[in-house]
Amino acid sequence: MLEKLSENLFDKLSIDFLRNQVLKNAYGNNDTVIAALDPRILLLWYLFFGLVPWFMDNVALLLGMFFLVAVTTRLAKIAPLVLFLFCLGIFSQTGYLLIISLFFGGNGETVLPLLIMTLKVAVVSLASVTVFSGLDPDRLANGLEWFGCPERFSFSISFGYRMLPILMEEFQNILLSYRLRGNAPRKEGIGGKVKWLVYQVKVIIMAFYPLMLNTAKRSRTTVEALEIKGYRYASQNMAVKRIRLASLRLGQKDFYFVGISTLWTAACFWMAWQF
Amino acid sequence: MSAKKNSGITQSQKLMVFVLTMSLYGLATLITELIPKFQVGIVEFSVEYFLFIPLSLAMLFDPLSAALGASTGELVFSEIMLGQFGGLGELEKFLTVTIGVYIAGRLVRDPKNIKAVGAAAILGVILQQFMGTVVDIVKVQTAVSEFEAVPGLPESVFFTEGFAFLNDVLFSGIFFCMLPTMYLVPRLYGKIEPLLGMKPRTAEDKNQEPVIPAKVAVLSIIGFAAAIGAEYLAESGFQIIDWEASWAESAGAMGTGMLVAAVIALIVIFWMKRNSQLRSAA
Repeated sequence: MLEKLSENLFDKLSIDFLRNQVLKNAYGNNDTVIAALDPRILLLWYLFFGLVPWFMDNVALLLGMFFLVAVTTRLAKIAPLVLFLFCLGIFSQTGYLLIISLFFGGNGETVLPLLIMTLKVAVVSLASVTVFSGLDPDRLANGLEWFGCPERFSFSISFGYRMLPILMEEFQNILLSYRLRGNAPRKEGIGGKVKWLVYQVKVIIMAFYPLMLNTAKRSRTTVEALEIKGYRYASQNMAVKRIRLASLRLGQKDFYFVGISTLWTAACFWMAWQF
Repeated sequence: MSAKKNSGITQSQKLMVFVLTMSLYGLATLITELIPKFQVGIVEFSVEYFLFIPLSLAMLFDPLSAALGASTGELVFSEIMLGQFGGLGELEKFLTVTIGVYIAGRLVRDPKNIKAVGAAAILGVILQQFMGTVVDIVKVQTAVSEFEAVPGLPESVFFTEGFAFLNDVLFSGIFFCMLPTMYLVPRLYGKIEPLLGMKPRTAEDKNQEPVIPAKVAVLSIIGFAAAIGAEYLAESGFQIIDWEASWAESAGAMGTGMLVAAVIALIVIFWMKRNSQLRSAA
């Protein structure tokens, strides 16, 4: 059963699939309600939902917050792979603890604290999924820069989203050429499977050698191109920053979004206090 | 200027190393999602990470740029792009990876000395994993109130975390960090440096400075403390915003209201200040 499951996952998670999902996640949802909001508002919103749940212990309140962030995640039209990884992350953070603490003589009392902790983790990660996957990378980088985040970090985000598909393709090409020239061991029996897996991992590691050299050349070109445009000076200069950040404007939608979130959260606090 | 010439690396070359490490390690953290996990009983054989990439690059180039590039790459590529950004919790990983890679890179004086390369690589992994384990234990202790009172929880946390630590160091540490680093560093040495327009690092370069200066040690400890502090915030929060108890009396309600008002006021003031700052820039 377990073997079949991992086999299944391995089939599904090919590099092509991953690349498509990442691209879809990055550029495929520019028309959602969440993507149209001001990134600065979303970052502040995230600051609340990323911090406050850690301090709260009330199940009703956490459930209410969970509902709100689940709705925003739905609105942001997140790619399925991301949601799957989210579920996996939740389980690996707290689910296994429950099973093991039962093993060490835990009982029903163990469930409630772990449920609270799971809810906390879920609220925080769904809020981050909404903000960081729902937003266009460039808008996210702009929003971070507005708050005084180091320019290098927002540059990394924009650069990463543009470069990743190219890098992945190149990595795949190198990997395929290794496979063409190599002779993979047969996949029979448990020993054969282990050998096959070791071979695959070895090929992946070896493929990084040419990739490192290629990327070194490319990063030199990138940096030199940036220098020609005066990147290092421009990243410090306020006037340049003003031009770059001029596109950030607060709109009516942002006020509605903040208003609804505030009302709902206040209602949750009131409910938690009543019962 | 002369100080810069001594280390032989210019600012733009530092940026190149940063970009290189960021894109490679970012890609690698995405790839690790592809490799399936194997479970034999409760022993899990998983490829935790491909730390050999930043480790090799930190040994060949400027360690600090490589370390910062690695942690930024992981944050941007695998956390933010896949939407797994965990907020404050990521700060811990960012800091531990930076410290581990930086110290490992700093320990190697001569990249041609394979034994030193291997030892530094495994030491970097142990350091990073150990800090991660301590932070993880503190995290569970603070997130679950009355940690000790929950039957079976403390033992299970110490057991799973301790086990994960050993598992990561012995399995991922040796197979995915130490051995590949020992394979890659001698092969890349002398080949990759000209591509970035610099001279290969030799033992003589670093002779003037002690292997780990006091400043680095102090900064690492501060960084680690910050990593724990980020997680620890939760517990102190229990006392600061213990709203359920304070809500009952009106003075507490007033206090909470004032806190909320203060936070909103701070945000608005910051917003206006930033706007005027940007507008006044000529």
